[in-house]
Amino acid sequence: MATSETYARWRTRLVPDHIVGEILSKNWIDNAIPVFMLVLAICVFGSIIPNFFLFGNLTDEGREFGELALVVLGMTVVLLAGGIDLSVGSTFALANFVTLALINWFDWPAGLAIGCALLAGALVGLLNGFLIGYLRLRAFLTTLVTLIVVRAIVDTLVLSYSSKVVVPLGYSAFWEYLSYEDVYGVPVAFIVAAVLAVAAHVFLTRLRPGWRILAVGGSRRSAYNAGLPVRRIVAGTYVLSGVLAAAGGVFYASRLGAATATTGVGLEVAALTAAVLGGVSLGGGRGSVTKALLGAATVLVISNSLIQMGLRSGTNTLALGVVLLVAVAIDVKWLKNRFKLLSRVYVSPAYFRLPPRPDATEGSGTPYALNDRLRDVELIGLGEIDAAEDPILDIDDHLDFGNRQGDIIRYFGPDHKRSEVYAHVGGMPLGMAFDKAGDLVCCVAGMGVYKIARETREVIKLTDETNRSWLSIIDDSRLRLPDDLDIAPDGRIYFSEATVRFDMHEWMVDALESRGNGRIICHDPRDGSTRTVLSGIRFPNGICLAHDGKSILYASTWSCTVERFWLEGEKKGRTETVIGNLPGYPDNINRASDGNYWMALVGMRTPTFDLALRKPGFRRRMVQQLAQDEWLFPQMNVGCVVKFNERGEVIDCLWDRRGVNHPMITSCNEHRGYLYLGGIVNNRVGRYRIEGADPDFTNQGSYWGSGK
Amino acid sequence: MIAAARDMFQRWRGSGRYAAAVPPMDGVLGPNQLIEEAPLLLETEAPDNLVADGDLFLFSTGNRVMRLGPAGPDAAPETFAKFEHPVSALALAADGALAVGLDSGAIHVKGGPHDGTVLHELGGRDIVCPTELLFDKAGSLLVALGSQQNPPSRWRHDLMEKNASGSVWRLDLASGEPSCIADGLAWPAGMLAGHDGQLTVSESWRNRLVDVCPGTKPKVSLSDLPGYPGRLSPASDGGAWLSVFAPRSQLVEFVLREDDYRCTMMAEVEPDLWIAPSLTAAQSFLEPMQLGGLKQLGVLKPWAPTRSYGLAIGLDCKGMPRASFHSRADGTRHGITSALEIDGRLLLASKGGNAIVSITLDEHGAAR
Repeated sequence: MATSETYARWRTRLVPDHIVGEILSKNWIDNAIPVFMLVLAICVFGSIIPNFFLFGNLTDEGREFGELALVVLGMTVVLLAGGIDLSVGSTFALANFVTLALINWFDWPAGLAIGCALLAGALVGLLNGFLIGYLRLRAFLTTLVTLIVVRAIVDTLVLSYSSKVVVPLGYSAFWEYLSYEDVYGVPVAFIVAAVLAVAAHVFLTRLRPGWRILAVGGSRRSAYNAGLPVRRIVAGTYVLSGVLAAAGGVFYASRLGAATATTGVGLEVAALTAAVLGGVSLGGGRGSVTKALLGAATVLVISNSLIQMGLRSGTNTLALGVVLLVAVAIDVKWLKNRFKLLSRVYVSPAYFRLPPRPDATEGSGTPYALNDRLRDVELIGLGEIDAAEDPILDIDDHLDFGNRQGDIIRYFGPDHKRSEVYAHVGGMPLGMAFDKAGDLVCCVAGMGVYKIARETREVIKLTDETNRSWLSIIDDSRLRLPDDLDIAPDGRIYFSEATVRFDMHEWMVDALESRGNGRIICHDPRDGSTRTVLSGIRFPNGICLAHDGKSILYASTWSCTVERFWLEGEKKGRTETVIGNLPGYPDNINRASDGNYWMALVGMRTPTFDLALRKPGFRRRMVQQLAQDEWLFPQMNVGCVVKFNERGEVIDCLWDRRGVNHPMITSCNEHRGYLYLGGIVNNRVGRYRIEGADPDFTNQGSYWGSGK
Repeated sequence: MIAAARDMFQRWRGSGRYAAAVPPMDGVLGPNQLIEEAPLLLETEAPDNLVADGDLFLFSTGNRVMRLGPAGPDAAPETFAKFEHPVSALALAADGALAVGLDSGAIHVKGGPHDGTVLHELGGRDIVCPTELLFDKAGSLLVALGSQQNPPSRWRHDLMEKNASGSVWRLDLASGEPSCIADGLAWPAGMLAGHDGQLTVSESWRNRLVDVCPGTKPKVSLSDLPGYPGRLSPASDGGAWLSVFAPRSQLVEFVLREDDYRCTMMAEVEPDLWIAPSLTAAQSFLEPMQLGGLKQLGVLKPWAPTRSYGLAIGLDCKGMPRASFHSRADGTRHGITSALEIDGRLLLASKGGNAIVSITLDEHGAAR
């Protein structure tokens, strides 16, 4: 084996490449960059500044964090609705002054004073909201004007009354508590901010007004068309922002007890930087409380560290400005490229070496030898059928199969000329079987396992989820691609899920991965439970209960093998290989009347594709660089059906060598002496007369006795 | 420095110079089914090398050179000459001399003043791969040697080995003195002598036509063809007919860049089953298939990605395409290796489709 191949094999074994894409496909991955930034800032400044991690420092930072976080939360809400609020710094200063004035100068009760300060913030917010929400002024300019006006008012007040407001007339226990006390070392401001953050998180993610804010930010026009009161919602966000900024100002007042002209100057830049750095989109509709808090923490670490390092205050603003610029750039680029990156790295081919192909060429003398016996089959429904993955016949000779429109079509027996829509399921029906009561049970791609009641034709969901596996990053509890099923004598339904990593329309990508992404699942209708029985299988496909009912046979398509899973007996719960090396890719398996099994080969192995399986890097680059239509794929323009016995010996093989009628056969079903052929991309069902077959054999009879 | 970094980045991303893109067939090269639907003139095994002989024409099939009249499907071809090895190139001089290149690496001259001449080397270089022969007006023989590594029948090997060892020679048969006109070409497969004495050569593996002249670098006259250009033959109005014997495909371009995969494939897989261009439409279930080539609802789409294609391009006097004739992915008349205009008809040899077809031309050199 070549060195490159050995390397590829070990890499597949040791490095789980596929989880990179799975992590990137998670919604929380948006938080990765802010977390990274925060950790980076802590590491950098933690190593530069002595005593960075000292408890006293952390407590101080906790107070400041509380103040900043409140302002950032307000800013976030406004940003989420698609606006911007530059007046937070002035509102902050106004609230600071109002609080100090009312408590120290007028000697009001602290609670009332705080209430008034919050009201002042709300009024500023209301002004903004009215101008922007109802009069439709530009958010940026309007809040800029508010910033200047409110700042001017605060400056005037501070100039005249600054000495009066700083000296307390009386004593307020509550105010003292707010100012100096900790709860087990945690400052009150921090606790209040934390509680408010939790509340804001619930508000934004679980409550109707929160969702509406996100909807307005995501698409203002759509929200309007959906009937949301867009103006009121927008105005409301500014009020909320004003109140939260004012709350920040109140805590500032309690901490420093001073009103100066520089209070809250540049706070809007810090808050905006924090929100955007955390990943709250400037465009609106995208962001969360967690992101806002992460951003606030990062900004605080940076600005405080710069102050501690003794740099001039101008440097601080400069640094924040630079960080804001970087954050905006990342925001734009990440939003644009995230899905590009995901589509580039999600497909992660694995090393897989198949044993040498059995010779299937004409005249090779093997049981697989090429012939053209399927060339002249009778055709049913030519041109009317679309995607009959698994045609099945009931005891009354009706022919049932699914189509891409999500219906189950029935062709009436015995001549199969007329048809009707038997039931509408909604997803694409794949494998089918009849249960003991004669109800049609079918796998539906993207939905789960469904049952169509025989009498009422009611579509009943049997299961759409299984147990979540502990180490899986993607949520594998939902059924993504149930493929084929069969029913044990006790009524349990065994079905295959071909892959947990791709949807129905991407099944071919799984071939290029050739990773064990599939599983066998068991649904027990007696207690309604669904459990995964086997996992890590390469595209498990056809499933068939053995003639004695003691085991199931399943085809592993990309492995080119057929396996047996024992349901009872001394080998119960064990798996053994029945056919270890096929010349093609096995699909659905069904019982034959002579005690053997029919199996469709959906495609044939080619030397070039077998080789590509040994070169995962080749396949990865191919997926990345070529359009899907250009990808190398197994040969599926031929039709092939094999018959094998209980020991796994292939005893017959039928071909449509040019794929004239039946390229890519996905299923073959024996019924009263004929074999019915279906293909998932074909527009016909074929009917092939089997020499010497039992003319009375039906699948339903074989499973449930001929009495049904 | 920046250029090198960009080069590395593009190599990693597969963009820019490393993009596996192929030129689209649009404009004049827009698809039709003119070859697929053209009347059959003769069904024969792997026809090639159409050469005019007065009102008749010669062609090669396997080891033999045949002659056929213009009478149509009823006329039976007669054997004109027979050789020990497959015929790979053919030229007929005005004085009746027939020059024949053989796959074994030899050039025979029959008839004319130099009857019996057999060449095995030119200017000290072994003749390995005679791909095309042409008598010029002065009576000297122009020889295109496709490669120094592979005979003509192993053209697929030469492409996948990424060779560029072809050369073009002028041989004065009287003196036996050869002179090299151009060297280092990537499979020169066709030659056309212009009125002003210039020589246009199709350079298959570089998908272009070049004007060659001794002592100067080849000048590109038509580049970025969507296939591998083969033989050139003159058109009645001063233009030319270009046979394109196989299409380019993104997958093949990609495999050509993937050295590890390509070398393993060449070592382990039979050449007919390679991911490489082909003269014949898909025959075996062991051949590679591309996802877009999957039959949908029983139909193979004509625009499906394909290893083989039938394409002949009409060039005007300035060497620009003005008409094209196609047999698309769903057809069988693929691997057009030779074109010949006789009496207002265009004969095309489909080597992969085992057929010679005849297309009636209008006065503008398009299908009537």
